Amino acid sequence: MKRRSISATFLLYIGLAVTMFFIVFPFFWLVSSSLKTSQEIFAIHQTFIPKKITFTNFIYAFSGSPGPNIGPLMNNSITVAVFTAIITLFFAATGGYAVGRLHFPGLQTFVIFIMIAQMFQGPVIMVPWYKMAARMGILNTKTGLVLIYLTSTIPVAVWLMSGFFKGIPKEMEEAATIDGCGKLRTFFQIILPLVKGGLVAVGIYSFILAWNDYQYALILTTSEKAKTVQLGIAELMGGIGQINWGGIMACGVIVTIPVIILFGCVQRYLIEGLTAGAVKG
Amino acid sequence: MFQKFRKNYFAYLMILPTLLYLIIFQIYPIFNSIWLSFTNLSFLRPDSGNFVGIKNYIALFKDSNFPMLLGNSLLWVIGSTVLQYLIAVPVSILLNQKMAARGFWRGLMMIPWVTPVVIMGLIWQWIYDGDHGFLNQILGTGIVWLGNKNTVWPALLLASTWKGLPYATLMFLSGLQGIPKDLYEAGYVDGCNSWQRFKYITIPLLKPVIFVTALTSIVQTWTKFEVIWVLTGGGPGYETSTFPTYIYSKSFIMYDMGGGSAVSVISMLFMLIFILIYLKVYKKNLSEV
Repeated sequence: MKRRSISATFLLYIGLAVTMFFIVFPFFWLVSSSLKTSQEIFAIHQTFIPKKITFTNFIYAFSGSPGPNIGPLMNNSITVAVFTAIITLFFAATGGYAVGRLHFPGLQTFVIFIMIAQMFQGPVIMVPWYKMAARMGILNTKTGLVLIYLTSTIPVAVWLMSGFFKGIPKEMEEAATIDGCGKLRTFFQIILPLVKGGLVAVGIYSFILAWNDYQYALILTTSEKAKTVQLGIAELMGGIGQINWGGIMACGVIVTIPVIILFGCVQRYLIEGLTAGAVKG
Repeated sequence: MFQKFRKNYFAYLMILPTLLYLIIFQIYPIFNSIWLSFTNLSFLRPDSGNFVGIKNYIALFKDSNFPMLLGNSLLWVIGSTVLQYLIAVPVSILLNQKMAARGFWRGLMMIPWVTPVVIMGLIWQWIYDGDHGFLNQILGTGIVWLGNKNTVWPALLLASTWKGLPYATLMFLSGLQGIPKDLYEAGYVDGCNSWQRFKYITIPLLKPVIFVTALTSIVQTWTKFEVIWVLTGGGPGYETSTFPTYIYSKSFIMYDMGGGSAVSVISMLFMLIFILIYLKVYKKNLSEV
């Protein structure tokens, strides 16, 4: 191919700068505001970079009233998200293997079923779910949250895992079968270790989905014992009196940075899986 | 039949957990909400939940908010999808060019996508804040962006574009990478300029990806509640209420669960239309599974 002209290169980098500003600025503003003193936050002219860096906002985040005391809430979120991720993997490994590797009558119907299940999320299932949770006695419990998060993680996880299973060379599986392994044993001893990377990626993705949720925690939890950190932070916005923007921003930084790091670790794997479905068409 | 089943028992064993789980915790609630929409269920009254016929539907169609809800839902879905796609196509082409640190820029692109929606809400509320917000500072204005009838929709759509752009860009990027390089070279040899190559090679070959991704995004945005809820709560008044936020307000703030379920059912009827189109598009894909 020919080389790009200087003006084209110039335009390219201008475009890149504008895009990156739009994408990164809001996040940068979150971090910057979290480090500002309250005088600076409410100053008429705010600067991009804090003139004086302070960590009082982060202390506020972890302290009880007037702070939100997000420590215990984060504990709730971590527990719920870890359990969601682990349980999701069981469904993703089994269902994903069937979709990715096995040919059986009803496969297409099953795939359509998963895709449609994935679409019915949020308020359309909230009322019946609330009623069901009340009857099962799991309102305000972490169990209830895990159970509802699974409805949003399982479909996408099955789909993602099926892609990873598809990538295993056929010969490996055949060799194992010939050696006289049973189907279940082949699956656990030969196949699963081959998709370790995929399992980690899908597990982390499910963790992130559960960690980031707001809507289901909003209807299913009210008490400190199960309330997630997202819900706790959202409630800060509705408080009475002047909003402590610096403190809220610090909470935002605390719950966002771990997700960005986790996602960064498995990004390559995930993106391959996520895009495979749409692009094949 | 039985033999067929025996031959495939292992496959059925493998899909059984997923199938059962989704039927109990996702499909059953969907059908249950159809039933609930014909009752006067309210969790405030223990004796509620009796069959009341189509009363909830009649009330809904008489509800003065209903036309606005429908309009808002369509505006929300079409507005955010169109905006996202208009921006994502050039951005993905941009990020597909040779440039310094390309992987790093692509990685940064994903930040809005992984940012929790609550945090996204507070960042943008802070940017839009009437007294101390960044937007007012650079524009030299004092507008309460999310509290003003005329500015609330553009403000919502901008924030939702920020959140949704990464996913669309990601899909298009992988679509672009699937276009064989020699097509461009052939175009170049034949004397096409870059606009012609864009129009006759990139766009036609990207079309299937755009179509499938747009449909997914339409369905997802249709059911999406969180972005609007964290930014405006459906307000001011019901100015930015869509079907999902109205289901929530009706069911969990006014405790009219029957009425809320009726809104759900109407909303799901629209989803059925999207799904039918979606399935048609996906049929081709599925035969390759």
